[in-house]
Amino acid sequence: MKKSNLFSSCKVLVTFFLIAFTLAPILLSSHPWPNEGRDYLFENASNETGASNSVSAIYLGYRAMDTLGETLVLLVSITGTMTILVGLVKKEKSDSPNTFLLTRDKRKSNQLRTHLLEVVSGKLGPIVLLFGFYVMLYGHISPGGGFQGGVILASGIVFLALGNQSEKETKLNNPIVLARIEGFSFLALILASTSGMLMGKGFFGNPLSHISANFIILLNIIIGLKVGTSIASMCIAMMGRSHDD
Amino acid sequence: MMIERTLIFMIFLVGFWAIIANKHIIKKIFGLNIINAAVVLLFILEGSRIGTQAPLLDMQVTNIVDPIPQALMLTAIVISVCVSALALALSVRLFKATGSFDIDVIQERLSHEQ
Amino acid sequence: MNSSNLMFTPIVLPLLGSALILMVKTFSSRKGRIIAEYMGSAIGLLLPLASLFVLYPVVREQGFLQQVVGSWDPSIGIMYRFDGLSFLMILLSQLISIPAWIYSRGRGPKENTFTALFLIQNASIAAISMCSDLFNLFVCLEVMGMTAYVLIASSKKNAAAFASFSYLLFSSTAMVFFLVGTYGLYRITGSLSYAGITTMIPEPNLMSSVCLVLITVSVLLRVAIMPLSFWLVPAHSKAPHAVSAMLSSVLLKIPLFSLVRILSLVSIGSDIGLVVSYAGAFTALFAVLLALSQKDAKQLLAYHSISQIGYITAAWGMALHAGVTSKTGAFLLSVAFFHALYHAMFKALLFLSVGTTTDYANQRNVYILRGANAQLRASGEKVPITMLCYFVGALSITAIPPFNGFFSKTLLTYALKETMQYTLLTLAGVGTLASFIKLSRIYLPAKPTGQEETKPFPKSIHIALSVLALFCIAGGVFAPQVFNFIKELLASHPEQEQLSFKFFTSSNLLKVLYTSLGGIVLFILAVSKTGTKLLSLLKNLPRSFSDAFFGFAVSIAILVYVLL
Repeated sequence: MKKSNLFSSCKVLVTFFLIAFTLAPILLSSHPWPNEGRDYLFENASNETGASNSVSAIYLGYRAMDTLGETLVLLVSITGTMTILVGLVKKEKSDSPNTFLLTRDKRKSNQLRTHLLEVVSGKLGPIVLLFGFYVMLYGHISPGGGFQGGVILASGIVFLALGNQSEKETKLNNPIVLARIEGFSFLALILASTSGMLMGKGFFGNPLSHISANFIILLNIIIGLKVGTSIASMCIAMMGRSHDD
Repeated sequence: MMIERTLIFMIFLVGFWAIIANKHIIKKIFGLNIINAAVVLLFILEGSRIGTQAPLLDMQVTNIVDPIPQALMLTAIVISVCVSALALALSVRLFKATGSFDIDVIQERLSHEQ
Repeated sequence: MNSSNLMFTPIVLPLLGSALILMVKTFSSRKGRIIAEYMGSAIGLLLPLASLFVLYPVVREQGFLQQVVGSWDPSIGIMYRFDGLSFLMILLSQLISIPAWIYSRGRGPKENTFTALFLIQNASIAAISMCSDLFNLFVCLEVMGMTAYVLIASSKKNAAAFASFSYLLFSSTAMVFFLVGTYGLYRITGSLSYAGITTMIPEPNLMSSVCLVLITVSVLLRVAIMPLSFWLVPAHSKAPHAVSAMLSSVLLKIPLFSLVRILSLVSIGSDIGLVVSYAGAFTALFAVLLALSQKDAKQLLAYHSISQIGYITAAWGMALHAGVTSKTGAFLLSVAFFHALYHAMFKALLFLSVGTTTDYANQRNVYILRGANAQLRASGEKVPITMLCYFVGALSITAIPPFNGFFSKTLLTYALKETMQYTLLTLAGVGTLASFIKLSRIYLPAKPTGQEETKPFPKSIHIALSVLALFCIAGGVFAPQVFNFIKELLASHPEQEQLSFKFFTSSNLLKVLYTSLGGIVLFILAVSKTGTKLLSLLKNLPRSFSDAFFGFAVSIAILVYVLL
């Protein structure tokens, strides 16, 4: 036993030092940072894409394919996580399903959801939703954008779910509604990316560039809705509700 | 200049050590997060050396930082969060199946199950 | 829509199909969902074949199609390039996805998100085949990997969760190293596209070489060459069968061929190719020895996947070493792809047929399972299609004429004649035959158990297996034509000479005879007492989780040392 432990810790040390020596010249390099990209974007980003936030101009304009890939990673990951978690939760079904929706005196679980938490988060919920929409829609002018706004939207929806003091629920906490919005926005994203092809601008090109350059706003809205609803439905699945099949 | 890069290098090595040496699977996932954070920091810090102002193209800016690493790192952060989420869900499932978080114990118990 | 827009359809069509499926899933009843699933998969799996058909004359004439996504300036946008190699890679993935999906309707994962994820995987494979940008390659590899992790974990077994977890951890850490390599290259050159990087690297200096090594090894981890193959065996053996078929046939090869684009443009690519080629040849032999020692049927097949990918990598490495645009290089690359295509066909066939057999027989241990055909018949299969298709696959992988494996393996070993790899690969061929004799024993007749079931055998299994067996046989019969097809697409200056290599010469057939005899001898040795003892030593080599990172670090170190 001791010998194999010694052997394996030797291997770990060797791995560590080899990687440290290999990565040192790259991570510690002081080669001057190139400024061709920055100069090009400084000149042209605002005119070509209509966004004055040059970071949004890059990841929704020039490198929009990366954003499509990122959205796909998010979609696949949330699908997988929800499948695994829902499968686990189903195995240990408590005697009263949807204990989440019951008021405090009637339910046995979720006791940490105190009255203070419910009042505060219930009142904050709509404000956070508004803020999420603001960040999403103004992403092309100030720091923000689809992903950032979408995550804030998701947290707003979670606030509304936690702050629900009555037994009626809002539509926004219904997993089916969220799943429908998510499905629609994914389809809209694919259609928006191919619309440029039909108008002769190439894949992910701006189909309306002769009218306005603000294709970015549309992409921001679609991505924001998709990210927000999918993360919210994952959080609501973790709270115990999912749209069953 | 160099001190910041050295510190980021050390953060990277700490994360890498957690992945290879630690037996607890949640700590391995922490290590993955730390490594990703180190790389994100590196990109953004080094990209900010060539300018002084935020890359928002208003009337007044003259010397913006490089916006390309920032856009790339937005993607990288989202991808790392998604990977961590899936990894955590899998480790919850492994814990429920085998009752342990130690990776050698999990491997042994799963091989006995066959 | 002109042809340069058409090149994006293999990416868009599967995504459209999966978006349709995901949307309809939330709305309507069960029947509507099934209709949507079939429609979505028809859009995603069949229509790209049609667009490939339309694109083929364009690629033959012009050589390649190139477009920046969104028609921005090439210095800042993402360049996509569709050439002969992309055409072949997308063709490979479509040819295998269709039977794998049909199989899953009968037996495989029946969850409603399976088809959507499967289509997203196809879209990411198409994107990897075409992209010429380093960061976009990172994103698309992550998409492909993410779908693989989720699909592996969709199996009900707990060991599948562990397999998915270990694959996830290695692959994500390797991707972080990929990002570090991208950082280094961006720092030196200011550009992320292949063309930009390679024109602006001055002469190969330390930093650019180390970055390229990091990028190569991170991508090669997904190809599972020997020091980096720790994740493969659990992942492929514990996944659902349709997913195993896709993983072994397609997902191991796409990253390998996508590396050709960048490594063929830099000067150190030829040195990297040489080292990787040797690694591939050693992998081929060592993995076959490990395969001989396995007792689980699917694990045996997974080790064989590693061994065959060693063959392909050996040819690929030598192609890079000779330079892909030169005549020998193009020939070697065509040979590598030829074997990759045929291996995809027979490996998918083997995984699906062996998987069906072990499911219906409820036993995966090859030492215990006997009389599998009787048990299949008892489960409702009238004609022994599963056993026949298994034998087509087994004869293909052991390179018996006239099945397709014979042609691709003979051509590959001929192309590598007079090098060390030739000896190693021939020995590996002997080992392949021995272990397949061991696996085929499951069909030996045994005492019938006397149980009869009346459940109908799913037709989709038969359809999928027959399609793949047909591919294997057709690949064998039309081998020279297929090879010329591949060569014309991959050569940069198409030559008019047809393949002058004769497959059915007496020396080749004698070689088949010797390999078969050697295989039988090795099998008899392996089941003897000393053989079993030696093999169980190999099998029980302690293999812990951190060994994989040790292999990763060692391979990086070897490559860096060779390049300096």
